[in-house]
Amino acid sequence: MTMATEKDINEQIAWAKINTDVLKSMENPRPAYWVTLFVCVAMVSCAVLAEYIQYTEGMGTANLNNPHMWDMYISAFVFWIGMSHSGTLLSAILHLIHADWRKPIYRFAEAMTTFSLLTAGLFPMIHLGRVWNLYWVLPYVSDRGIWPNFRSPLVWDAFAISTYLTASMLFLFVGMIPDLAICRDNTTGWRKKLYTLLSLGWVGSDRQWRHFRKIYLLMACFLIPLAVSVHSIVSADFAMSIMPGWHVTSFPPYFVAGALYSGCAAIITLFILLRYFFRFEEYMTLPIMEKTCKLTFAIAMVWTYLNLIEFASVWYGHDVYNKELLIAKATGAYAWIFWTMIFCGSVLPFALAVRSLRRHMPTMFVVSLFLNLGMFLERWMIVAPTLSMSQEPHQWDIMYGSIVEWAIVFGSFGWFGMLFLIFVKVFPSVSMYEVKEMVFHRKRSAGEEDLERMTDHAKPATQTTTGGEGA
Amino acid sequence: MSKRRMLALFSDFDEAHAAISDIRRNEVPGVTVDDVTMKSPIEHPDVEEVLGERPVHIQKFTLFGAIFGVTFGFVFLSAAQAAFMVQPQGGKAVIPLPSNFILMYEMLIFFAVWSTFFAFLFLSGLFKKRSALYSEKISLDQIAIIVEIDESAVDPMKTLFQKHKTLEIREEVIQ
Amino acid sequence: MSLDNILNHWSDFRKGSEEGGHHNYEHRWAMAINLDLCNGCNACSIACYSENNIAVVGKERFEKGQAMHWLRIERYWDQPDKVYPEQGASFLPMMCQQCGAATCEPVCPVAATYHTPDGLNAQVYNRCIGSRYCSNNCPFRVRYFNFYSYYESSWPEPMEQQLNPDLTVRDKGVMEKCTFCVQRIRTVKDKAFMEDRKVRDGEMVTACAQACPTSAIVFGDTMDEDSMVSKLWKKHQVERGVYQKTKLAKKNTDLRGYRIFEELNVDPSVMYLERVREDI
Repeated sequence: MTMATEKDINEQIAWAKINTDVLKSMENPRPAYWVTLFVCVAMVSCAVLAEYIQYTEGMGTANLNNPHMWDMYISAFVFWIGMSHSGTLLSAILHLIHADWRKPIYRFAEAMTTFSLLTAGLFPMIHLGRVWNLYWVLPYVSDRGIWPNFRSPLVWDAFAISTYLTASMLFLFVGMIPDLAICRDNTTGWRKKLYTLLSLGWVGSDRQWRHFRKIYLLMACFLIPLAVSVHSIVSADFAMSIMPGWHVTSFPPYFVAGALYSGCAAIITLFILLRYFFRFEEYMTLPIMEKTCKLTFAIAMVWTYLNLIEFASVWYGHDVYNKELLIAKATGAYAWIFWTMIFCGSVLPFALAVRSLRRHMPTMFVVSLFLNLGMFLERWMIVAPTLSMSQEPHQWDIMYGSIVEWAIVFGSFGWFGMLFLIFVKVFPSVSMYEVKEMVFHRKRSAGEEDLERMTDHAKPATQTTTGGEGA
Repeated sequence: MSKRRMLALFSDFDEAHAAISDIRRNEVPGVTVDDVTMKSPIEHPDVEEVLGERPVHIQKFTLFGAIFGVTFGFVFLSAAQAAFMVQPQGGKAVIPLPSNFILMYEMLIFFAVWSTFFAFLFLSGLFKKRSALYSEKISLDQIAIIVEIDESAVDPMKTLFQKHKTLEIREEVIQ
Repeated sequence: MSLDNILNHWSDFRKGSEEGGHHNYEHRWAMAINLDLCNGCNACSIACYSENNIAVVGKERFEKGQAMHWLRIERYWDQPDKVYPEQGASFLPMMCQQCGAATCEPVCPVAATYHTPDGLNAQVYNRCIGSRYCSNNCPFRVRYFNFYSYYESSWPEPMEQQLNPDLTVRDKGVMEKCTFCVQRIRTVKDKAFMEDRKVRDGEMVTACAQACPTSAIVFGDTMDEDSMVSKLWKKHQVERGVYQKTKLAKKNTDLRGYRIFEELNVDPSVMYLERVREDI
């Protein structure tokens, strides 16, 4: 190797510094924090007001009409579910393939998963005409012998999302237990009480670590198929129907790829924000950023490919409804949305392939936001145009959401931001113990390399006396 | 004769490792490696070389949860469908296997994950009352070795720990 | 006990519509609509409004597409070379097609819409939670949603006096659609039961069929071989569960019967008779 590869993390970093850096990020919010939190709460308030109007007046306030029974609520739902995929899925996959560069960034990514799921979970409720009867979707034993309809993809959604939400929350929580113990040992007051409760008596004994390693592996193994199934099931909401543009066989992988894509883009956004605001330059380093960007680029290309496959199969399939719909998407009233989506989703990610741009944080920040804009539009392009132009020509229509609908979708971003902001001040957003592990093992394997280099000329016997084995 | 619990802190995992392997070689009479617990800020799978293979049973609960989830899922769903005769819809069968398989898959994961989690809670020794012999350094960067020994073994144990550059030794009487 | 039920009826429960389904149909209500007779007068739609307590949404909401005309007259100008309106416009009364393999049914999360032994798609208003998935999955777009509460604005006093007491007024957040006047079907069936006889053909008439000045709409039971509807279906070689494309290939202009979107295999219960055109 001629070019020295940049290190993911400085191995000489003191463990005490890791603790203090991360713990400091949880303390004493700066004014900027309060301002952001206030903005988020204000956004949520707008949504609550809009939801109040919609709840009392009816769904018509969202401009929904006969062909457009679903609109932005459903696309926002799919968007947030998709956003939730990167955190847990990437964390679990990278854990299984021993990619230890995930360690400094997986915690906030998993938190993002949980909070975007909590955001996504609001939309099926918001969009229901009679939200007060929401619990009828649950399979509870009723004395009238009434059950939900297990054939409906919406019931599958309810099962899949509740499974995914609990499983990814457990994954986040279990992975956080050792860190909560660190917090417990270093805080006072209400925080100490909270962390004592949450760390469940973690002392780091060998027995605990052994079990910890096992459960973490097992949960990672379950979360990967689970995450894939969740977004496949969300895609079944569309793919199981007979509407043109929805009844698409390639939807499950297309949705999963889109989910990973928007999730990765969101990871980049939050990565940059945390790196900047919490001064996490030493943990969220540029090499890790580069790896994330490369991953995002690869996923963007998969997404592009699946898009092209869908267009091609519609084009050559000659199904008249599908084909006309595709032409209408690209040339009709929604063409500007379609082409913005293509630009943001398939052209813009090439910026991620350029090294100098990858390393320029402001550029990456803007790019990642646009990638997610593209993904939001993609979801909208899936939901609405099909309804605008389904089989029945008498009911063709063009529709854009009302201010009520926009306020609720807008507010969902505030809701997500609010939860995330609370999280970063209550829980460590960088995994302290895993950064230590990363440093420990990297230092050790680096040490062994040095040793090998030195002992090329010396006696090989010195190797055995050092005792410890690298991971 | 009273039993003592003794905690020794080390700054370096290799030293702790060496100390435990000394105990394993019975350098202190009457103390075996089974009396030893190691507490560390990070996971050290290597320690099992000297602590010996200590079993983990979580995966059995996972398997149980998975099997329960999938069988319960099938029985529950089809029983509900057979009881709810409004279900013939859209020309579909009353008990449609494809959609039940999807839900069974989710229930498999749901029960497997939860039983894994509860197994972890109860098998890994969480929820125990933490003894006074705990140092906040353990969650920072130091390794602790905890031994439960007879009073007579206290002094040789101390010597052994000091040989491995222990930073601090604490002890308590447990009986 | 449902476990016994599973074990005893497993093979029955696994039947799809291809094998006749689980239902043993008592009736299969159906329609035949002769488009050649339809002059687009909208009387059927009005009759439907008053029979079924359908809310009048007002001009603005109608323009937004939030109207709830269970039966709508679709106008198509499919002969652009003709001079409008004398000859060019054609009309198509569109209501719920009561499909045999309805796509709206399996997608409802709470089973609020289901198939009755009469061959109808029933919509249980009380059970509906308003997910609107059924409407999204309806290729005919004939399911209407209560986007607002209308019971005050649509029937100001004393207009609530004209509401049909045989069925409910739906509140906001509920999906509704043409029921083939299920309340009339109920009455007729009850009467026949009390008199210990079968329902006679022509005894059951829907509001739209009753109101149609040209008798373009014929309603009846296709399980009754001698009913007018059965005869019409047979005459035009329209059959349930069969895709009629082959018939179109015959170019037999006497066979005017077709069902809309037959290629989607949803098995609608409404047969349309194509308009007779001079130039075909």
